[in-house]
Order: sequence, then structure tokens, then C-alpha cells
Amino acid sequence: MNAETWKHIRHVLGENPVTLLAVALFALFVLMALFGPSLVPYDPLASNSAVALQPPSAAHWFGTDALGRDIFSRTVVATRLDLGIAVSAVAASFVIGMPLGLAAGFFGGWWDRIVTRASDTIMAFPLFVLAMGIVAALGNTVGNIVLATAIINLPFYVRVARAEANVRRGAGWIEAARLSGNGDARILAVHLFPNALPPAMVQVSLNMGWAILNAAGLSFIGLGVRPPTPEWGILVAEGAQFIVSGEWWVSFFPGAVLMLAVFSFNLLGDALRDIFDPRRRT
Amino acid sequence: MSQPPLLEVRDFGLEFRTRGGTVRALEGIDLQLHKGEIVGLVGESGSGKSVLSYALLGISDRAARITGGSAVFGGMDLLSADEAVLADLRGREISMIFQSPRTALNPIRRVGLQLQDVLRRHAAAPGVDLGRSLKERAAQALRDVAISDPERRLAAYPFEMSGGMCQRVMIALALACRPSLLIADEPTTGLDVTTQAAVMDLITGLARERHMATLFITHDLALAADYCDRIVVMHAGHAVECAPTKSLFAAPLHPYTARLMSSTPGERSSIVSLEPVPGNLPDLRRSDLPACRFAERCERATERCRRERPRLDGRSAHGVACWFPLREAAPLRESAHV
Amino acid sequence: MSEALLQVEALHKRFPVSGRRGAMLHAVDDVSLYIGPGESVGLVGESGCGKSTLVRLLARLLDPSDGRIVFAGQELAEIRAERFARCPQRASIQMVFQDPTDSLNPRFSAREAIAEPLRLLTRLSGAEIDARVDEVALQVGLPLTLLPRYAHQLSGGQKARVGIARALAVKPRLLILDEPTAALDVSVQAVVLQLLAELRRNLGLSYLFVSHDLNVVRLLTDRVAVMYLGKIVETGPSEAVFRAPRHPYTQALVSAIPGQGPRIKLSGEVSSPIDPPAHVCRFHGRCPQGEDRCAREAPSLRRLGAREVACHFAA
Repeated sequence: MNAETWKHIRHVLGENPVTLLAVALFALFVLMALFGPSLVPYDPLASNSAVALQPPSAAHWFGTDALGRDIFSRTVVATRLDLGIAVSAVAASFVIGMPLGLAAGFFGGWWDRIVTRASDTIMAFPLFVLAMGIVAALGNTVGNIVLATAIINLPFYVRVARAEANVRRGAGWIEAARLSGNGDARILAVHLFPNALPPAMVQVSLNMGWAILNAAGLSFIGLGVRPPTPEWGILVAEGAQFIVSGEWWVSFFPGAVLMLAVFSFNLLGDALRDIFDPRRRT
Repeated sequence: MSQPPLLEVRDFGLEFRTRGGTVRALEGIDLQLHKGEIVGLVGESGSGKSVLSYALLGISDRAARITGGSAVFGGMDLLSADEAVLADLRGREISMIFQSPRTALNPIRRVGLQLQDVLRRHAAAPGVDLGRSLKERAAQALRDVAISDPERRLAAYPFEMSGGMCQRVMIALALACRPSLLIADEPTTGLDVTTQAAVMDLITGLARERHMATLFITHDLALAADYCDRIVVMHAGHAVECAPTKSLFAAPLHPYTARLMSSTPGERSSIVSLEPVPGNLPDLRRSDLPACRFAERCERATERCRRERPRLDGRSAHGVACWFPLREAAPLRESAHV
Repeated sequence: MSEALLQVEALHKRFPVSGRRGAMLHAVDDVSLYIGPGESVGLVGESGCGKSTLVRLLARLLDPSDGRIVFAGQELAEIRAERFARCPQRASIQMVFQDPTDSLNPRFSAREAIAEPLRLLTRLSGAEIDARVDEVALQVGLPLTLLPRYAHQLSGGQKARVGIARALAVKPRLLILDEPTAALDVSVQAVVLQLLAELRRNLGLSYLFVSHDLNVVRLLTDRVAVMYLGKIVETGPSEAVFRAPRHPYTQALVSAIPGQGPRIKLSGEVSSPIDPPAHVCRFHGRCPQGEDRCAREAPSLRRLGAREVACHFAA
């Protein structure tokens, strides 16, 4: 990346404190995912009945759960799994959805009809229910959670890419690109795709938040990741029964971290769009 | 003896506060408009002509700050009037038509209803026939702008009409309540030559018929010459020359006006004889702008031009804002009302 | 007559009309045209006359429904538009667009925009491409310091120059200019027009200059063709056509130019280009000289000396 790009990124970050906050939070979560498991004070799977259901203290920042496991350690370690699921699912959606949408918007005709019908079919279902159905049918594995999440997010990318391609199809610079010797494939890849990136970036970050919620939700109801693997949804599920009896910390902290993660991804969307859009460069 | 002007702008200045600096968009503008007069405001993009008209109507961008001067319409101070008074004035006494008719019309509302909205808003406009229903008056408004079969067109949506017809509808909207001043901001830019001629004929015809003062903003000097009684030339936020059309073309006094004329194809005999205006518009955010903003592009400029701003004499028949006009300016006398 | 660089014969382009089965919009109807080497030909007409479609057919961005396009002896109409991008003749026909902002990819810098045709259509090395970009930028008066900038960082005149540089980079023989100065300020327009005139002199290019500004066409072209509703209604030497137009539409067009004296008013609206009746003159109904004969027999383009006119009344 050249100096001009860095300068632009610094400008975007400096412009809006919220952007800086979002990026900082995101960086924090990435670090947690990468290094968390090596840095946590306790083994997330080690149970110790002697200290079961302890409120937050100096020894256990987030308290302990019914089996005496340190909630802080479990929450931090869960980051890697949740983030991993979200990133894989969104990446898969993006890689498949964008080209399909671009082609549909650019060529129109029956190509467009097929892609939009398929996309409409997916969107006709309540998306979470569809994800549940897919995981239930294919089996409770992390891989299937990723697959289900990827499928239900496809239509968003298809739509964004299709809208961009449709709008820009008649633009002067597309015609100029043809005059310059670009075939259709190259126009889609080199010209249209980069211009569809800014709105797609917003989708990506919103989807990441949604994907995390999706995975957590599936695990919460027992589909997908199985205990004792730490995962935010499972952690919240394990603590749900204790809320009424007063041990609020078992659900609260994992839930709060989950919420913070989704929040930071949503904010990140705007920052990413600003970074990618050359029109924002002065 | 000439009447007092309908619109009088004196020493008007305006600037925009932007993140990139303060843009001194207008400075020291003097302008007069009499009843029934058609005045052309000619300048390139960036000259401030549209900014001026928006400021007069009180619809400037929020970043705009008035730095001085006055604008009086029919005895009323436009700059200090509050929003309710101005809102009442717009459409009833002062109207405006814009460049792209399709963006000025609401695409999801039928044309007839849009006309009725305007009529209803200014229901008590003097000179308007209150005895007829809103629908009849809307149809009449369309008839006034030479749209055939107006009753049927009332039910049409803007996308069902051609560009020229949309323009006519916009004119009908603007003139529905018979304002005494019409501001036309590049109403024919982008239209075909024949449609342009038809639209201009329509506007000026109605203006003459109703004794309506018209401020016609354009970048096309030749077009202004065909239709306007007087022309005011603007450059970089200054009014640099003001004269009756014939005098302006017979003998332009400001170097910029002369260059504008010689850079348009018009009646020229060859491409080589075109003389473009040298240099570029100065960046209006600069703090070191020369007093005469044309100084850096002018081959006649001296130190005085950079230090002291030449003023346009509004009372002169052919006013010019230049220390070294191309010819001697006309002697001072009362502004003639055509 | 020396061999034409571009010879267009009986070109048609019809578009199906959505919502009405079988109805066809005749955008370009039986157009024949030729452009000689080094010649500048103007194409005028109002919006909806089909000149944009015609220009895109000639630039091979669209495929014709019928007819021949012969360029330097080679029949081009048979090659489909998508495939033409990779054809060796692609570099010979280039185009400058009307809206300089719209014709530049917002994500490409000026240098990248000008270099792209060189990268795709020539076998030059990276260094040679850079050198050529510099060379053509100087030819069009674009300072080299502006080359790394993006479209939104350039002024209208500068963007126009980038568009021209991009078109010239691959050394075309025919340059199609689609209203290249319409979106520019008057003073910038003058500069760009002089540039275009000079380039043609220096590089020996042919121009097809499309414009609705008749004064500009008069100055920049040797011959002009006037289009109305998909058909060519008059051709001839530019100066002569404007001084003494023979077709009633051309007469109305010329009279509508500001400063041209009494205006010939045209009544009514343009007739529909959808399934126009073949035996009726397209201008009938708006023409100040119309007669019954015009509704029974559509006039064909007749040769009158150096001119061609499609009207029963042209002497």
C-alpha cells in the first residue's frame, strides 16, 4: 500500500471518533481470537466444583459457572470460534454472491431471472428458521453452521452486486472500457467489481455481526456447536437457567461481549466503506 | 422618468464556510430589476450566478453566510425577513424555474395535483380567479404554457412526458400564481435547440404579457442576447459589466466580456479565430485573491487592479467594473428602463 | 473519390419495445454514410433522432439489425460487439464521450485510464506504455503532474483531455466524438475545440463529430449529415448546409440557433419511432411545407450536386 492510501486511511479514522472506536474494538476482538487461548488465566474446560457459581471477583473477573469453570477464560476463548465461523461464512457468501449478482445485473435476460428467483426463494424463508432447517438436516457440525449462514446471507450480496451492475451497465466508462479492449469477463472483474466494493463492504460488516448472532443463536437452541466447547451462544444458554436464581453473571458477560462484537462490526461497516471509496479521497 | 426598481440588490456579499476554507462566493454585487424587464445574468460555472438567486429566495445552502449588503424586493428587505414571510413570497410573488425539469417535478405525483398544491398554498393570490375550482385553474395554467389537451395532461405523471413538456409544466407551476418576478436558472440547458427556442419564446412571451420581471440566468451569451433587454456579466463572484444588450454587443467594455464573446463559435469564420479566456477561475478560498478577480487572467492588469476592487456603477447606462475598460464607459445617467 | 475509410450501407437498428409484442423501435433506419481518410464529418440532430445509436453501431458497441459497416475494406458488422473488443481493428476506431465525468472509471487514476487500452490492445512493454501515456498526455495539453489523480480530483476541462488522450493513445484512424464539449464551460470549450482541430491536422485522423451545437459542427467539420427520427435527411459540405439548408428540418434547426434571425416554428411533437409507416415522410405533420404527397410517398435521399436531400421539395 502506498503512502497516499495510508494517509487516506488515517484521515478517515481521524474524521469520526466513532470510526476509530469501531476499528479499535475490532482490532481487540481479532487479537482476542488470535492470542486469547494462549493468554487466558484458566483452562476453559477445566471444571472445579469447589468454586462453582462464584460472583465476579479478583480471581475470576467474570465469575464462574455451575461447573466451576472461569467464565472470563471461556468467553475469551470462544472469540476464536465465533469469529472464525462468522468470517468463513461471510467470505463464502461474498465469494459466491458477488460474481452471481454482478453477472445477473450486467447481462440481464435469463441469467438475471434465474439468479433473482433463487435469491428470492432463499429470502422467502425467515432466515434463521432456514438456517435451523439446514443444520438440522445436514447434521450438527461447525461446518454446517458455516454453510447454513453462508446460504442465508447470499441474497444480500447478490442484491448489492446486481444493483451496482445494473446502474453502471450503461455508464460511459463501461462503454469506454469496451473500446479499450475489455471483454465481458474483464469488465465484470476489473471495472464493475471494485466499484461494487464500497456498498458490499457495509454488507460484509453487517453480515459479520449477523453471522455471529446466527451461530450463537443456533448453538443456544442446541443446534450446531455442542458443549463443552466454549461458544458465546452456548455460554449464554448455560447461564440462562441461573438468571432467576440470582447468578446473573453466568449469562451476562458472554452476552455483553457478544453484543459488543456485533456492535463493533456494524460500526466498522461505515469505516470500511469510507476507506474503500476513492471518492472520499480529497 | 424611470420607476423605482422592483428588485434592488446593493453591495451584496456571501460566503460559504466549508471544511476546505471559506469560499467567498459573492462580493459587492449590485443589481436592479424593473417591472416587466428581462435581465440576463451571464457567467460561467463558478461565477456565483445561481448562488445569488438562491440567496435572494432565502434557499441558500446552510453553510452560507451573508457578509454584507442589502436585497430589497418591492420595498421589503429579503435578507432580514423571517422564513414564514419568505415562504409566502415564494411562488406567489417571486418564482423560480430550474435547469432539469425532471428533478424539479415530483415523479410519483400527477402533474395536475402538483399544480393544485401550488394553487392551494397561495390561494389568496391577487388577480387570480377564485371563482373557479382548483382543477380548472390548473388546466388553465397548462393552457397558458401552450400544452395541448390540458385536461388529459393533468392526470399524467412526469415520466410520461417529454423533456420539453416537463419544462413547460415546471413553468406552469412557477407562474400559476402570477408572480411579479421570475428567476429562470438555466432553464434550457440540455434541451435541444428547437425545444430551447420554443421554451424561451414561451417564457419571454408570458413575461411581456404579464409585465413580469425576469432574471434569466445562463452561461450562453448568445442566448441571452436573443431574449434579454439588459445583460449583467458575472465573473468569480463579481458583477463585471451591466448594459443593455445592444450596447453590450456593440462595444463590450470589460476584457472578460470581450473574451467570452470571442471564445464562442457563433459567427466566427474558423476555429483558429476562437480566442479562449486565458487562465482559470481563481480559487475563491484563497486569502490572497486579487481585488479584481480577473486580474490574473487579464493582459491589461496592473498593480492597482490587484489592490483595489473596481466597482460597477449601477447608475450608469453601461456600467463596467474595470480600471482600464476597453473603451471609455458611457457617462453617468439614470438607469434607463426599457 | 479516394477509397473511403468508413463506408456504411443501409444500416438498420431496431429495438423490441417492451410491453408490446412485435412492435419495434426503429432507432436507425436505412442509413448510408461514408467518411474518407483525414475527413471530418459532422452528425447533427436532436435528441431521439438516433445519432447516439448510430454512433454506437459504428463504434461497434452495438450490433446492427441489418446493413454493412466497411472499415478500411473490412466488413465489421458481422463481428459481434463483445468479440470485437479483442479484434485487431478495435484500436482503429475510438470514441470520445460527451460527459467527461461519466466516461472515466472513478477508481482509475488518469494514468491508468489512458494506459488501459495500450495494455489490452498493444504489445508494448510496461515502460513503453508509460512513455506513450506521457507522450499523448503532452499532445493533449494535460500536465504530467495530473496523471496520478483520480477523476473527482480533476476539473471538467482536464477530464475531457484525459478522455481524448485515452482515445488517441492507441493511434486510431477514426475518432468518433459524441458531443465532446457539451458538458464544458464556454471558455474551456474553445480550448478543447482548438485542440481537436490541431490534433486532426497533426495526426491525420478522420473525425465523426456528433453535436447538437451547429456552430461548432460548422467550424470543425468538412461535411455534415443531418438526422431525423433515424433517417439521414440531408448531407453536404458543412458551410453550405448551414448557409443554405435544403431540407425543411435543417432549415428549422438552423433558424433556431440563437442569433439566426426569424425562427421557423415547428408544430406538434416528434412522431413515434415505433413501427413508423414506411410510405410516410418522417417529418410529415411538423413540416411547414407538407403536402398530401408526403403522406403517400416517403422521399429518399437524392443527390443534388455535392448535396443529398430527402425531400420532395428540394430543388
